[in-house]
Amino acid sequence: MKQFLTVLQFELNNYFKNKSFVLTTVIFAVILAAAVAVPPLIPGLLDKGEQTESQKEAGAEEDTVSIYQEAEIFQSPQQAEQLLGYPCIFEEAEDTLKEDVKSGKVKAGFLLKKDGHYTYVVLNNSMYDSLQTRFEEALKMQMENLYLEGKGMSETEITEFQSILPTGDTQILGKDSAGNYAYTYVLIFAMYLLILFYGQMIATAITTEKSNRTIEILVTSVNSNNLIFGKVVAGALAGMIQMGIFIGVTFGAYAVFRDAWGGILDFLLYIPAPVLGAYIVFGMLGYLLYAMAFGMLGALVSKTEDISKSSSTLIFLYVVSFLVAVYALNDADGILAKITSYIPFLSHNAMFIRIAMGSVQWWEIGISAALLAVSCVVAGILAAKIFRMGTLMYGNPIKLGKAIKMAGRKAS
Amino acid sequence: MKLEVRDIKKSFGEKEVLHGISFSVSSGTALGLLGRNGAGKTTTIRILMNVFQANSGSITVDGKKFRQGEYQIGYLPEERGMYPKKKVGEQLIYMGMLRGLSKSQARKNTKKWLKRLEVAEYENKQLDTLSKGNQQKIQLAQTLVCDPEIVILDEPFSGLDPVNSQILKDVIQEVIGQGKLVIFSSHQMSYVEEFCENIVILKSGEVVLDGNLKEIKREFGKNRLMVQALSLTPQELAFLMGDAFSDILTVERVQKDRLIIRENREGAKAEILKRLLEYEVDLEYFGLFEPSLNDIFVEKAGDGQ
Repeated sequence: MKQFLTVLQFELNNYFKNKSFVLTTVIFAVILAAAVAVPPLIPGLLDKGEQTESQKEAGAEEDTVSIYQEAEIFQSPQQAEQLLGYPCIFEEAEDTLKEDVKSGKVKAGFLLKKDGHYTYVVLNNSMYDSLQTRFEEALKMQMENLYLEGKGMSETEITEFQSILPTGDTQILGKDSAGNYAYTYVLIFAMYLLILFYGQMIATAITTEKSNRTIEILVTSVNSNNLIFGKVVAGALAGMIQMGIFIGVTFGAYAVFRDAWGGILDFLLYIPAPVLGAYIVFGMLGYLLYAMAFGMLGALVSKTEDISKSSSTLIFLYVVSFLVAVYALNDADGILAKITSYIPFLSHNAMFIRIAMGSVQWWEIGISAALLAVSCVVAGILAAKIFRMGTLMYGNPIKLGKAIKMAGRKAS
Repeated sequence: MKLEVRDIKKSFGEKEVLHGISFSVSSGTALGLLGRNGAGKTTTIRILMNVFQANSGSITVDGKKFRQGEYQIGYLPEERGMYPKKKVGEQLIYMGMLRGLSKSQARKNTKKWLKRLEVAEYENKQLDTLSKGNQQKIQLAQTLVCDPEIVILDEPFSGLDPVNSQILKDVIQEVIGQGKLVIFSSHQMSYVEEFCENIVILKSGEVVLDGNLKEIKREFGKNRLMVQALSLTPQELAFLMGDAFSDILTVERVQKDRLIIRENREGAKAEILKRLLEYEVDLEYFGLFEPSLNDIFVEKAGDGQ
């Protein structure tokens, strides 16, 4: 234990004395704090409603929609505006409409035929443009009105007819998956970055000791289990501390400025304690498991430039885990999420998603966590054996399968 | 303390590289582990350090199985390696702590050895900013920082200038004088002669010679004579004696300035001298041959054997 703590302390010191680690932590923490703290300090920036009104007054033309119609479907620009939700003008000719759109005088235009067929005229089509859909809805409504009027219904009767709408509320007895989606996604993405970045750092730290030949002195001075666990846990702790600082700074700044934000970031930054707890437990175990695996890969190569080649399979595995998680975010109680929540290397994301967004029993959480914890220990011991065995194996990277076989043979 | 290695065998894959190595060494003495490149010295040392495990054979200390963790061992590997970007003092303290010293003791020992090796001013310098010779001394400090009972040095003098070699020699002599058990591998025979009471010469994974160095030298020189003449070159002497004296001697080696011969029977020395004088050879030297370790090494480990 003393040796483990000595290695842990030494390796942690290496991280904390590393200028790039300190600078990265400080710079990102400042950026995150500023991102949360500065907007409320800029007058009017978060006052979206008022801004829109003033913008409307200042640049009304930019939001105006022009309509050219062969027959009088919309009776007046005011009526069209009422149905569409945008200021409308009627054009007298198709060409005028196109010129206005081209010059930016109006936002877009619609050429409307007698039979209700229309052409949407826009300068640059955007992926998120909803105007066409809104126009279709307004047009449909207006054509229905005209049809009903034709059938002899009065304007009052039509209004009454249209006001028949079902009303309802939602009572959430379980979890608000839609509401939890944003922060769950962000936390999983943060874990993705953490594992890939620190995993590589851990592998590099181990390979460096092989490449600078320090390893022979180390393995003859200290038990290789203590050595690899100390190094990997130090790398894992450094990553967690850095991530903890980022999360802490962001949450802290939001706690201070929440009122100024009007609570609009609650969907992202208001994370219930049980969900945060699940993230810490499963995130930490998953991270440790990958850290051990990266440590093992670091021991298989003797040159730092070979790490990326050696770790590609593990990175691919994590990308699979991430893609499964992205799928599970949309179906937290689905069969894929359920199965993967018991498979180490995948379960840390899947079970976290089930806890955050789905329905899960305590015993399921317990089994998943236990499997993950056991996997961490097994991976650690295997990593230590491979590390010990690979100590003096220089040259081409050793294949993981071969290394596991050799470690197994040696153990038996 | 007596460390005994008995019949160690080691294979890498199908290839056996050690074919039953045996030797022993006691506290307060140094054993010279010698051999040409690839003879098996470093493999033997790595087995002693438990970097590898032997396929068979035993290593004992005072009759009990040698467990590395039970002893303080200072190890200077052939492949030097420390953290190039870390400060010298920090990593020496770390190495001391890894071997069980408290932080304060490790710090104290670090200062002691840096001072003794005349590199105290580099304690707070990054290792890779030091010259190769000074880095070598830091490596030796690393070996000794834990006050080891057993010291294993694999080529400690490589890369050192004569001044630094002298400092290192003094330190090694002190270590032996303090009663440590020292195993010393080197190609530089003069150092081995200075430190080592006993030697083991390995050749292709086998022990070809082992024992007390003085006795080996005495035995090696037995029945051997060295001849030097003023008027004849060693080659001419060899030609003369090999032809005319073949009944009483065998020419063993023709060296640059001397001829080594072996008596074919006890007491032939007087007869050889008598005949040389009869041939009117003006002798510069005629006497017992005292071989250097280098002579012994070349004969035992060289291709001629």
